[in-house]
Amino acid sequence: MKESDIKKILADNTIPEPDETVKETMIATVMAEFSKQKVTSTKKIKGKEKSNRLMSTLKSFLTYLGESTMKRRYVIPSAVTACLVVLVFGVSQLMDSNLLMEQSGNIAETPLIFTGEKAEEEFTVPEVDESAPAPQTFVVRKEKEYGHADNNKKAAKPSVARNLSQMSQQTTDKGKLMGFQQAPMMDEPSNLPSHYVGQDKFEEVDTNPVKRVVEEPISTFSVDVDTASYAFVRKMLNRGTLPPKDAVRIEELVNYFDYDYPLPVDKTKPFLPTVAVYPTPWNPDTKLLHIGIRGYGIQPDKKPKTNLVFLIDVSGSMEQPDKLPLLKNAFRMLVNTLEKSDTVSIVVYAGAAGTVLEPTRVAEKGKILSALESLNAGGSTAGGEGIRQAYALAEANHDDNGVNRVILATDGDFNVGITNMEELKGFVERKRKTGIFLSVIGFGQGNYNDALMQKLAQNGNGNASYIDNLNEARKVLVQEASATLFAIARDVKIQVEFNPARVAEYRLIGYETRLLKREDFNNDQVDAGDIGSGHRVTAIYEFSAPGSKGQLLDKLRYSNSKAAIQDSKTVNQEYAFLKIRYKNTDSDQSSLMTTPITSTHEFDSLKKVSPDIRFASAVAAYGQLLRQDSYIKDYTYDDVIRLALSARGDDPFGLRNEFINLIRLAKSARALSAQ
Amino acid sequence: MTEPDEIELINQAKAGSSTAFEVLVRQHYTFVYKVAFKWCRLKEDAEDITQEVFIKLARNIMDFKQSSAFKTWLYRITINTAKDLMIKKQRALKNESAYLEAEKEKSGHVDREAAMADKLISLIESLPQKLKDAALLVYSEGLSHKEAAGILDCAETTVSWRLFQVKKKLKISLKSGELI
Repeated sequence: MKESDIKKILADNTIPEPDETVKETMIATVMAEFSKQKVTSTKKIKGKEKSNRLMSTLKSFLTYLGESTMKRRYVIPSAVTACLVVLVFGVSQLMDSNLLMEQSGNIAETPLIFTGEKAEEEFTVPEVDESAPAPQTFVVRKEKEYGHADNNKKAAKPSVARNLSQMSQQTTDKGKLMGFQQAPMMDEPSNLPSHYVGQDKFEEVDTNPVKRVVEEPISTFSVDVDTASYAFVRKMLNRGTLPPKDAVRIEELVNYFDYDYPLPVDKTKPFLPTVAVYPTPWNPDTKLLHIGIRGYGIQPDKKPKTNLVFLIDVSGSMEQPDKLPLLKNAFRMLVNTLEKSDTVSIVVYAGAAGTVLEPTRVAEKGKILSALESLNAGGSTAGGEGIRQAYALAEANHDDNGVNRVILATDGDFNVGITNMEELKGFVERKRKTGIFLSVIGFGQGNYNDALMQKLAQNGNGNASYIDNLNEARKVLVQEASATLFAIARDVKIQVEFNPARVAEYRLIGYETRLLKREDFNNDQVDAGDIGSGHRVTAIYEFSAPGSKGQLLDKLRYSNSKAAIQDSKTVNQEYAFLKIRYKNTDSDQSSLMTTPITSTHEFDSLKKVSPDIRFASAVAAYGQLLRQDSYIKDYTYDDVIRLALSARGDDPFGLRNEFINLIRLAKSARALSAQ
Repeated sequence: MTEPDEIELINQAKAGSSTAFEVLVRQHYTFVYKVAFKWCRLKEDAEDITQEVFIKLARNIMDFKQSSAFKTWLYRITINTAKDLMIKKQRALKNESAYLEAEKEKSGHVDREAAMADKLISLIESLPQKLKDAALLVYSEGLSHKEAAGILDCAETTVSWRLFQVKKKLKISLKSGELI
């Protein structure tokens, strides 16, 4: 092949023409950025051009620190040390990593151009408290982390920005130390490098380990009514791909299904726990402890007035059919379930955030629907500004006795505006205290930021769902709308104390991201998940009896486990003691509900257990197989299919049948990936 | 070299003129978009890269020195931005590659020439980053070895040597793929 042939093939004609609407939105975004720069540039120091980049980075960083620091004299010298140490050590750390090793070669040849700028901007004015010796602490920590010195300054230059960005990330983690959380959120342009789309992000999750009852008899967690993980996994499997391990949150898979737990009759007790102990399907030597909760259902005539703000991502990537068009259909369905006196507003965000529809009563449904219809995708994502506008509208139309909720629909990141996760979380959390809650609905794939969605929903007293098709939209927004929108109990926490006389070891299946500290249970300040009207929440523990083969941990040589067993006889009959703490929607004081779990809750064979509970255990097994957890032993997808088939029940919407198909898909995807 | 009018525009933009800056962006929009597309081969990504490039431009135009040509500068930002995106994507893409393959097949071309083009493009995609940069700048952008060297900040002979490597690799790969 000749060079000319290659040139011919690679000529421009294979490139699709740029999209005009995208172009215009983009130019608007860029121009906004430009005007922002004009304002901030006056603050910047001069003389950057003559010094080298490393120095200018340092200088501008120091200027920033200096500007915001009361005790300039004391802090700056130590900050200088901090920077030098971090820069030099940071490089050696980078050089160690294989991935970046290759890259650093590239960088040396084509240096990143804007290191100075970037580094400066990433340090969003930390307001150092006079009394807090923050920078010093910082130095020590860095030194420890980065280990050996390396004076390779040539490589240091281009890496500065990356390192500082890592640093700023960590600085944020230590937000309190730096007074960061109190910093104004959105007025400060946050110029973090944009989070590129094209990647789905999941928080890393390690499976809950087995705990020994003698050492840790108490397990505490927050309820979780999210179902996003189930739909996301389904989407991956439907493409023939196994989902990434961290995308599988077992509790969300289990809670995806409606289980027929008895409903509470009495409104003073908003829910009723259903408890069962039965043999573990995947391990003959252990048992499962099943805890199910169902909230009472609000009757349609008792529905509180609803003030909804749809916050819709209309960035360019939302154009695909499984995103904005699906979202429009989904929201149309939701609007149709609302009452005439309810209100809806619409805020969109892309290049710039804007209000599309001022608060409008559902009586004027046509207006709402046509506003929905008029939405078009284009541009990038200014989610931060969008969130702010949405909350402003919700506040303007706040109904003290009603439901005030922002529903955020997006395919992923907020890549312009407040991109800092901690800042966003803080904002949503503060707003929650004013009575405005946040629900998050994820769409599409490719840049779905699951971790951020989860965090936002958790902090906004809302729930995160993921919608991949119209059927799911119906489930989330119509069938479960009342549950999603009308919370009946807030901050619901579960604590289980195991009886060492009957339980040697236990582990909680799923809920890894929802674990609470033991002392958090009685602390009403600690936030936890909410339960909506008719919501079901299920938690499953696997446990082994003392002396059974199911024990995984060695006995302790020096602990005296007999002491615990010499309790009174009645207590000895209990497996565990279940405590549920919750707040009624109108109260900040929590109430407590307790149930001893005894042999009366026990079923000696799986067949005797109700189909719904059996089905839940099948879903738990499926989740563990997808996560490739070791506790599931040699249980196979075929076993799960058999178990699920035996527990399908009525299945009015075909969800359980669909689940069985998903197991088959997982099985074949697994077989493919093993090849 | 940067044209006199362009220098004027840049100077005005540096002085804070939004109009001048907008003209600059509009003038170079298609250029950046096309370069971005060649480096990543996906329209959506190319758009993201383009936006990122111009945002970087907005943030950094004050620092632009006339000693380097504006276009060279844009090339560098675009290529670096594309590179960053690709690195990030590769991490996330492991799970998606199967799907993307399937998608490609669906939209697959039938005729030999188009198949050849696809093959070549994917081969270039699979080259090590440095070789890919050199190949695209010279073959696709039609730059001279010297101009490419200016953008990649290396010696002209380095570019020539890299292209030699590219040709060697392409020949080998194309042969084993039995397309030639």
